[in-house]
Amino acid sequence: MNFVLKENKSIGEKYYYKKHKSGLDIYVIPKNHGTGYAVFGTHFGSIDNHFIVNGKEIVLPDGIAHFLEHKLFENEDGIDTFKKYAKYGASANAYTSSDKTVYLFSATENFTESLEILLDFVTHPYFTDETVKKEQGIIGQEIRMYDDNPGWRLYFNMLRALYVNHPARIDTAGTVETISKITPETLYDAYNTFYNLHNMALCVCADIDPETVEKTADKLLSEAPEVSFKRIFPEEPKQVNQKNIEQPLQVSMPLFAIGIKDPDVNLSGKDLMKKNAEYDILLELIFGKSAPFYTKLYESGLINSSFSYDYESHLNFAHCEISGYSNNPDQVYAEICKEIVRVQTSGFAAAEFERVKRVIYAQNIRVFNSTDDIANDFLSYIFTSGDMLDYPSVIAEVTLSDIEKRFSESFLEEYFVLSKILPISK
Amino acid sequence: MKRIPLYDGIHLNIIPSDKFKTNYFDFNMIVPLRSETASLNALFPSVLKRGSQQYPSISALNQKLDELYSTTLSARVFKRGEAQIVGFTTDFLKNSFLPEKTDLLEEALSVIEDIVYRPLTEKDAFRADYTESEKTNLIDSINAQMNNKNAYAMQKCVSIMCQQEAYGTTELGTVADVNNITPVTLYSHYKEVLEQAQIELFFTGECEEEQLTKQLLKLFAGKKRTKVLPCETQIIKTVDTIKEVTEEMPVNQGKLSLGFRTGFTLKDKNYAYFSLFNELYGGSPTSKLFENVREKLSLCYYCRSIPEAHKGVLIVASGIEVQNRELAQKEILAQLETVKKGDFSEEEIVSAKKSVVNSYRELYDDARALSSWYLSRVIVEDYSSPEDTVSTVLAASATDIKDASQNIILDTVYFLKGTLEGKGEEE
Repeated sequence: MNFVLKENKSIGEKYYYKKHKSGLDIYVIPKNHGTGYAVFGTHFGSIDNHFIVNGKEIVLPDGIAHFLEHKLFENEDGIDTFKKYAKYGASANAYTSSDKTVYLFSATENFTESLEILLDFVTHPYFTDETVKKEQGIIGQEIRMYDDNPGWRLYFNMLRALYVNHPARIDTAGTVETISKITPETLYDAYNTFYNLHNMALCVCADIDPETVEKTADKLLSEAPEVSFKRIFPEEPKQVNQKNIEQPLQVSMPLFAIGIKDPDVNLSGKDLMKKNAEYDILLELIFGKSAPFYTKLYESGLINSSFSYDYESHLNFAHCEISGYSNNPDQVYAEICKEIVRVQTSGFAAAEFERVKRVIYAQNIRVFNSTDDIANDFLSYIFTSGDMLDYPSVIAEVTLSDIEKRFSESFLEEYFVLSKILPISK
Repeated sequence: MKRIPLYDGIHLNIIPSDKFKTNYFDFNMIVPLRSETASLNALFPSVLKRGSQQYPSISALNQKLDELYSTTLSARVFKRGEAQIVGFTTDFLKNSFLPEKTDLLEEALSVIEDIVYRPLTEKDAFRADYTESEKTNLIDSINAQMNNKNAYAMQKCVSIMCQQEAYGTTELGTVADVNNITPVTLYSHYKEVLEQAQIELFFTGECEEEQLTKQLLKLFAGKKRTKVLPCETQIIKTVDTIKEVTEEMPVNQGKLSLGFRTGFTLKDKNYAYFSLFNELYGGSPTSKLFENVREKLSLCYYCRSIPEAHKGVLIVASGIEVQNRELAQKEILAQLETVKKGDFSEEEIVSAKKSVVNSYRELYDDARALSSWYLSRVIVEDYSSPEDTVSTVLAASATDIKDASQNIILDTVYFLKGTLEGKGEEE
């Protein structure tokens, strides 16, 4: 099978796709930048800690995906992965989110050599009691650092308020206590299930031809049998867990995050992309910097330029987050509820709708400025069966009645929560 | 980069690039960093952004930007050595991605012109309501600097180290200074800055050079300009006594910040040697600090060295358990000694060189970062490109790197001592 070419001429981007004989999905996005970027990811994140594999039900400690990410950088030959990359000057890193673990590097020369390192170390796990113990100290400090980070606490508290049972509630890194239960055996359980090439993808965004990437894969990856497993998620109601959550921290003024739980989940592919586009347009329409709501609250001093909003969308959970600093988070919450009621009555003007679509379209084109953004975003689309190059046309296809329907079904106060970080002295 | 003089003290710098979907432009006013004026400088761009004659409100301005296909316009303030830089940045789609025939560069520049040169005034003052509201926002931002503990500990270390120098002033100034500002004093200060600041404009992307130059010549035509203020940075190379400050705070993690005088700045022809030293010492995941303080001793998640190239200072920052403070400090200083002694391998040098070269070359794929590279150098009248600097890096010897580290001396130890025990988390 040859590479399949997919092109979006209007934005001047294309990619090549092939299922490699090893079972790995390979995507190559040619780009004339000096900086080449590669991401090698597994569809395994902090929410995937309960599953059945080979007829055996397994529950792993919270934070294991992130722990595993750290540990893969150590190798049996005793040479740290960063050292291997350093020989070729690549800049390497990795991250774990709720639904994926991603290993990446960028390089301006010797791209193929670095790609070999990437494919090699991720497919060769090596854990011992001693190295696991050492990592508990390092990650322990990472967790402590995040415990002092107001934005991070605000966000995870919001997730805990939104979700009753869904593991999105769990901190990505777990806690000092849960990671103390991690052993080489639990790491291998996770690795052998989720790091099979059929559950992974490689995205390369660089000035490179797809055949070169394939040759590198041929050299490093052998044919792997598919591991069949089933993720187990608890039943999650549409309702939120608790309306309010707050935590005192050493901050200068209160922070707020208003979460809006999305009741319409378990979508993928085009349906998911369309929903995302509808939410993006709706948030910009209601809370955007040129909307009357933002102007009114900014001018009254209730919010400042830290105000922001985002829609976070995954296969089986999704929510909006509206956040910022305010001396009166409860008032911001009340104003948001009032605004929703106002919009319910007044509806959306067609001209506003068209203006906002133009904004979302332009914002989306900006993503294609950097190989880093392209490769990382691309991977997110892959793991939800979407296609990044289709998104501009999906945005264009959204109609006013689509967003009216979405708004009336989703922006209901019963789906709202308020998370606050308050100064300790108060 | 092509540097085109427009008027006395005003330059347009064009960095051609066909790699991006957007063009990027920034408008920088460079003035000396002084405690008396830092807050005034930090405040006026935000007041300007609140409303101009053509765009009298936030919504009027933001609607215009939306119409220009989500063109961005941000006010910013920062420091490089003892120069304070205030101004605006904007980026916008290249015309080829627009469904209609519009010149977004021309449009974006005319928005900036209106914002910078045609503010809403009441007699010889900015609008009182806009001024008061942005004063509150600035005070909130100053107070909010403590919220990010990693950054706060570094900033505290710098302000203690440079207490007697202009560099000890933060780019936002102080709450007391902001409180003293009136719409009248702010307006008169703003006019002074327009007359006296060195103005550096950077365009990164694709444009008709002649047309852009013409538009900018017109924009600045007839604007009153007096003598351009020089921005010299005082470089200190000696330390009498090491300053040690510990501050307690109810947080989980201790933050250790060590402040050093390096004796090396961008004005030194071979600053790249110092960059190589830093890469070896604490600038990468293969550095001495990462390998020893984190990987070997398992004391921290992060421990890195961050140089300031204009002032000649270096901060080593780490987050640790409070009881590990002595151990961490000892190891950080011991690793510095190993580099000073030249105790690094040929392999480490090659890796450091490759990594530094890679980071320079990656700049060409990030418009903001590339523009920032040149701005940092223009301040010290150096116009070399990242690629020009690559050859200096590649030519460096082990002795060059060792020599670059010889004048590094510890000046200040700041420790943010967390007083919370166990997990300070509530559900």
